[in-house]
Amino acid sequence: MSLLRLRAALLGPARLRGAGIPWSVLRTYSSASAKEKARRNAICERTELLEVLKARVKQLQASNVPEMMVNKVDLAPLGNDKYQDLLEKVVAPGPAEEQLTPRGRGESPARPRNWVEKSKEEMYIRQLKVERKLSIAASRLALEGQAKAKRKDKAKAKAKAKKRLKKPEAKVAAAQSHAGSHNVYAHSKPKVVAVKEAAKAQRPQGVLKNKDSSQHKVLQQTIQSNLECFLFLQQPEEAERFLLLYHRSPVKRRLLNANAYNIVMRIWARKGCLQRVNRLFSMMESVGLQPSLDSYAAVLECMGRNQSCTKAIQRCMQQLKNDGFHVDELFQKCLFEEDEKEKVLRAIRIVQPNYQLPPPPSPQTCKSYLLQDFYSKEKMVSYPKLDFSVQELQERFQQQLEMELNNTITIESVESTKPLTPQAIKARKLLTTLRSRWHDSILQALQKSKHSMSKLKTVSGYNILYPYLCLLPDEEYVGIMLQILNTLSPQGESLAVLARELGSKVYNRYITQRKLRSRQLEKVQEVYEDYIHLLAKDSQPDEYLPREYWEKLVAEAGFGPSLNLKDCSWPYMLIMRLGMHMLELLVHAVKVPRNALNPHLEHKLIPVLYHVYSFRSSWQIGLIKPHPIFSQIVSDAAETLLTFNSSAMPMLCPPVPWTSPHFGAFVLNDTKLMRFVDGAIQHQLLLDQCPPVNLHPVLDALNQLGNCAWKINQPVLDIIISIFNDKGNEKLDIPPPISEAPRPPAIPSNYSTMNKSQKHELLLYKKKTAEMHSLRMDALYKLSIANYVRDKVFWFPHNMDFRGRTYPCPPYFNHLGNDVTRAILLFAEGKPLGPKGLDWLKIHLINLTGLKKRNALQERLEYANEIMEEILDSADHPLTGRKWWMNTDEPWQALACCMEIAKASRSPDPAAYISHFPVHQDGSCNGLQHYAALGRDLIGAISVNLMPCDVPQDVYSAVAQQVEEFRKKDAEQGVKIAQVLQGFISRKVVKQTVMTVVYGVTRYGGRLQMEKRLKEIDEFPEEYLWEASHYLVKQVFNGIKEMFSATRDIQNWLTESAKLIAQSGQTVEWVTPLGLPIVQPYYRSKSTVLNCSMQHLSVKSSNSNQKPDTVKQKNAFPPNFIHSLDSTHMMLTALHCLRQGMTFVSVHDCYWTHALTVDIMNQICRQQFVALHSEKILQDLSNFMLEKYCRSGRETRAPWQKKLMEQLSNVPKTGKFNLKKVMDSTYFFS
Amino acid sequence: MLAGRAPPGAAACRRLLAAALAAGLRPLLCGLRPCWATARRAAGQWPSPGLRVPEAAEAERLVQQAQQLQRIRAPLRRFIACPQLARTVQRCLQGGAGPGPRPVLLECAPGPGILTRTLLNAGVRVVALESNSAFLPNLQSLENSLDGQLKVIYGDFFRLDPLVTGTVKPPAVCSDKLFETMGVAAVPWRADVPLKIFGILPQRKERNTLWRLLFALYECSSIYRYGRVELNIFISEKEYKVLTAKPGEVRAYQALTILWQVGCEIQLLHMEPWSSFVTNLKNGGRAVPKSTWLPNDHLCLVRLTPQQNLFTGGLKPTNSSTFIFMVKQCLARPKSRLTDRLNSWSLDNGGKLLRELEIPDSAETRSLYPEDYRRLFEALQNSNMFTETWFHDEVLDSIRNINL
Repeated sequence: MSLLRLRAALLGPARLRGAGIPWSVLRTYSSASAKEKARRNAICERTELLEVLKARVKQLQASNVPEMMVNKVDLAPLGNDKYQDLLEKVVAPGPAEEQLTPRGRGESPARPRNWVEKSKEEMYIRQLKVERKLSIAASRLALEGQAKAKRKDKAKAKAKAKKRLKKPEAKVAAAQSHAGSHNVYAHSKPKVVAVKEAAKAQRPQGVLKNKDSSQHKVLQQTIQSNLECFLFLQQPEEAERFLLLYHRSPVKRRLLNANAYNIVMRIWARKGCLQRVNRLFSMMESVGLQPSLDSYAAVLECMGRNQSCTKAIQRCMQQLKNDGFHVDELFQKCLFEEDEKEKVLRAIRIVQPNYQLPPPPSPQTCKSYLLQDFYSKEKMVSYPKLDFSVQELQERFQQQLEMELNNTITIESVESTKPLTPQAIKARKLLTTLRSRWHDSILQALQKSKHSMSKLKTVSGYNILYPYLCLLPDEEYVGIMLQILNTLSPQGESLAVLARELGSKVYNRYITQRKLRSRQLEKVQEVYEDYIHLLAKDSQPDEYLPREYWEKLVAEAGFGPSLNLKDCSWPYMLIMRLGMHMLELLVHAVKVPRNALNPHLEHKLIPVLYHVYSFRSSWQIGLIKPHPIFSQIVSDAAETLLTFNSSAMPMLCPPVPWTSPHFGAFVLNDTKLMRFVDGAIQHQLLLDQCPPVNLHPVLDALNQLGNCAWKINQPVLDIIISIFNDKGNEKLDIPPPISEAPRPPAIPSNYSTMNKSQKHELLLYKKKTAEMHSLRMDALYKLSIANYVRDKVFWFPHNMDFRGRTYPCPPYFNHLGNDVTRAILLFAEGKPLGPKGLDWLKIHLINLTGLKKRNALQERLEYANEIMEEILDSADHPLTGRKWWMNTDEPWQALACCMEIAKASRSPDPAAYISHFPVHQDGSCNGLQHYAALGRDLIGAISVNLMPCDVPQDVYSAVAQQVEEFRKKDAEQGVKIAQVLQGFISRKVVKQTVMTVVYGVTRYGGRLQMEKRLKEIDEFPEEYLWEASHYLVKQVFNGIKEMFSATRDIQNWLTESAKLIAQSGQTVEWVTPLGLPIVQPYYRSKSTVLNCSMQHLSVKSSNSNQKPDTVKQKNAFPPNFIHSLDSTHMMLTALHCLRQGMTFVSVHDCYWTHALTVDIMNQICRQQFVALHSEKILQDLSNFMLEKYCRSGRETRAPWQKKLMEQLSNVPKTGKFNLKKVMDSTYFFS
Repeated sequence: MLAGRAPPGAAACRRLLAAALAAGLRPLLCGLRPCWATARRAAGQWPSPGLRVPEAAEAERLVQQAQQLQRIRAPLRRFIACPQLARTVQRCLQGGAGPGPRPVLLECAPGPGILTRTLLNAGVRVVALESNSAFLPNLQSLENSLDGQLKVIYGDFFRLDPLVTGTVKPPAVCSDKLFETMGVAAVPWRADVPLKIFGILPQRKERNTLWRLLFALYECSSIYRYGRVELNIFISEKEYKVLTAKPGEVRAYQALTILWQVGCEIQLLHMEPWSSFVTNLKNGGRAVPKSTWLPNDHLCLVRLTPQQNLFTGGLKPTNSSTFIFMVKQCLARPKSRLTDRLNSWSLDNGGKLLRELEIPDSAETRSLYPEDYRRLFEALQNSNMFTETWFHDEVLDSIRNINL
């Protein structure tokens, strides 16, 4: 079971379509894997880093002392002068300064005497401190010089070394010349240069210790998120103490960057303590960090808050300019919370009363050739309206907001209609008492642990988790833990998964709170109210796209907090650590009396959760399992309430449009534009670097998909629920309840006396029930959610994976699901069938049955008309009639279609019948279609229906035929195995391999597939299995090569290129024709060990500094590239359908629309395919990669680079297929 | 299929080449065998056939040539090539033998047959189990030239009794077929050693193999179904250190240590530097595995003789999997306290039990002697504490997971 779950988790979102998804995978939002490995010889990450750093310091100190001395001597007086500047400024009497108050005295400028004394005292203390700090700073600078020298030694370029060594000296000199200048804020340009140089000097060092820089980054992120916590908690003293902890130690100080200081400055600024802000400002400069825009924003905010004097503000703005910034940039680039923006503006207006906010940047338009028409203003049409008034949409938005504010939602499951047994009532009562007891004990444990942590904090060191346990009210933490307990499956769950779930739940609630606190939500609400006008039927048509309209409204709103939060994501390690801590509390606190079920036993409290290890070849996995007593009570109670995260439900109002990678989808729930594995940051970085305008097409496509409104097909849902609540039906894919499981094998009273076969039987039984349980729960979730929204109209916000394939965000119930879920979904919007609509419905029905696959559309239609009686019978008596629908490929969708046909054909005018039914058009072997088009393969194009033909072509049969030909030839030449295989080669045998060729199946995997297929044939002689499968896979590959001659070349070219790129230590990156940047996130895994008291947890960390995994990079590139193309095709189709005012959604290569618009969609789909492939895709890819990986201008070109250049330049040749033919191909998508 | 035939599919040309190779090694038979040979034969002691033992360089060449015959790259293997080393090993294997009849020696993966010839010359009856078909012709011609002193079987000892269902494909073998072919019958556990086995554990599967053998030992299955089979195996020094570690040794003392020390008498016969062995790598490299914590400069020839009294106490082949599970769970975190472990399993009266066994309350799991674990298990077994259902579910699960 757990193995199965692991595998499913590894497969990722792409497999979410399958039916047998274990529930725990679905429970966690991202389905990516958190494979936890506890390695034996691991060391704590932090001590390791510290040790490395310590060692390095020692190393540096040991060698080259004279130079260090020189630097120190030079620097010390300079620093002193600089600090005197600061001090003078602080002490200098002036209207602004007088308002400043020392810490802890409140806003009371009425104590001049005290103030002077105090400041004198402070000055003295500070001077002492300054001296200490300076020596530290100096030695640090010296160390940097050292590090440089060392790096050069490594490079063995001693001549160069001398040259570079001069740099620090020059810098010192430059700084010295300004030692006399007497105003902090007015310190002039050259000094800035010096600081900048210092920053530069730091950089090479960063490169030098590339090895541990990923650690460095994580630690840096941890510090920042810690400080953010203090910001959230409004604890400036704590934050400053924490900062000083790092600031004071020369080694730890390297972990600080300008951002860390900025955060603390912001906390003080909010309190209006200018003095504190100033002090931090100079601290930052004293360690050679350059103030950033945010630093100035914080200072100005503070000044605005307490109405500082003009002079001080002027000085500040002067320095801002000196640092090369512009005042306007403050409003263009900085993110603000609460009233920060107003305060900054107020400060500026004190100096420049007429200052106006800079105009919002003029909206840019995407220049892609493919979307020229789409974005051209001349052809602009108004956005399709929803069938709701502004008022209605407003109400729905309020409902959605309420749900998200509650974080979770509890709904009745579909099983609630079953009558209650006395046993269940008893068990529920027991569970209620137990839960309240657990609640108390967890709360107690939490408070106790927090208390001991806070104590620890005051004595020595610092507990890193403490602030994270203060962010929410204690009750919320307890609630999260109890929720985990309720959803734990009887088979248990791995520690890592649970820890991540707990940690990220806390994170999500914290984000919600932050949005509330920063008044971001208010602004979203405000903007959304106006935004609705674009979609509502009773408002003016606006010629905007949702994204454009939203951006316009935001720009118009002007003031208030920014919609994007400042980056506040927690490092993955931190989430895990927090989760582990909570899990430990949970395991220790939750107990159940041993005699809860069996009163004869003595009363004793035993833990509900226990921790065991499971061993997988060389590593061990820690599992948390519930005690059987607990599982028994839960199953007896048969509770019918289900609690979900609010993000697991479909949205009740149109989603917030995506306007940037950080903003869109749900109102409050944090959603990522791109799904990725935990801890991977490459995608986010890449998206952030990408110019926003390049992302517009992708964002618009996602908005379009998300704006499709849905409703429930109630009659079908009722039938499904009735079967589900009865006994299920495996054939119809309705998982039966556990009570229907086969009887357990007879177990002897004493386990140890069981023999091997008995044990085996028991194992099989357990496996079977575990599987049934997870299938059942999966279906229960889906149906319950569907049932909950049965009378509502709802929306699925979308995001995408790293290749641009789109997915609905709610994980359980969505249109990507299995046959059952798809059958209960209808478009909320209805459209008349039109003249051809009924025919399309009939053809769609036959497509769903899987019959008549090789027949022309007309024949399918005729067949449908022939069996009309069966169709009507199925529609009228689904469970009591002849049940024709049950024997089809997709029975539930077929049934829904039968009902729709029945209603339409019985209506007085079928053409006017309003239908909500989605009709699908499927790409036939879509991957191969893209390959064939890329390579312009003639034969290949015919076999995957790119060429117009009377009847649909079947690529699998074609390959089978080809293989058969090869076999005949070989058989004639006396090849034994070819003779053995006579009569065994069929479409079925080759199908799986052909299908997976596109996705990079290897000979090895192909042979295994073949062996499986041949094994299924009873007559096939077993002793030839290996040889035959080996032979067959070779011939299938040859056959494909023969038919898709260019395809194989392209695939090889892609693979080989990726191999060379990965071997050169870089990851494979490319940009889709729509401008979406893509990076393959496969790295040689490196894991860090988390030391927790329950278990050491090894967490895989992925970082751009790691070396790429060559094998994965290379094998995955062709399929990923093709997926990026098929997603591009889908998005193009979506956008152009939008321009036609049609409804469009997709399940990857299966496009859905109303029956009325099938023809238009088909046409657009073909047009866009032709347009997409008319671009020089491979040439563009080659150019992009040449530019990226082999940029010319480097003097020396390594041999690998030459090889890579040659490879990349050598774009495969293409065949003679005329792409335009696709326009007329009926069966291209059908 | 078990009988020593070349596997099907070996190309004709390959066979020719192999035959040519074999020709270079034809045994030099020396004269007629004296008639007292029969008596000694009965005692398992054969007269020396006086075979020529090739020199190291020649053996290395043979290994390389065999490697070239392979269709696919064979996994890393190590061979004895030096005649001197072969003699040392032969002496070790024969050492300590009593006057009684000598059991057959099963040599796993003999390869070029340097040790095989040395053993034969020393009068030992040998069964050679070779998995690489390229070595077979050579061995078979040797088999044919002798009068039953050598038996050659195609098969891989390290793929004995595969757990996959379905037919067993050579070179994987079933132990019952193997023993039948060798003509070795099962004896009671307390009887003498019915069979000696010699082999060099394949490096990549070393730990895995040690675990699998351990399971077989505790379940009395596979080779141990036939009695207390004596293993003489070359293992890396680091694994040897693990097998013979003392309680409290930080990295070395593991679950494997405890279980092997409870199960077998462990004897170090010989230590030999890695460089003395020939590998089948193309570049002739030695491929010495790295070891960070434990010394690893040698391969150690270790004799593992199952304890005669292994199953006399509360431990039985039927409940031994619980014992293994318990030890593994305890040692998954060697620094944890034993009482904590017992308590986390919510077994009753853990503390009282430990006191009775005179185990201190603060004892870490890694500081207990193997014998303590055995006593602990027997005490738990006697006090019926393992009746909790979940414990058995876990044991079952763990068997499924480990026994792969």
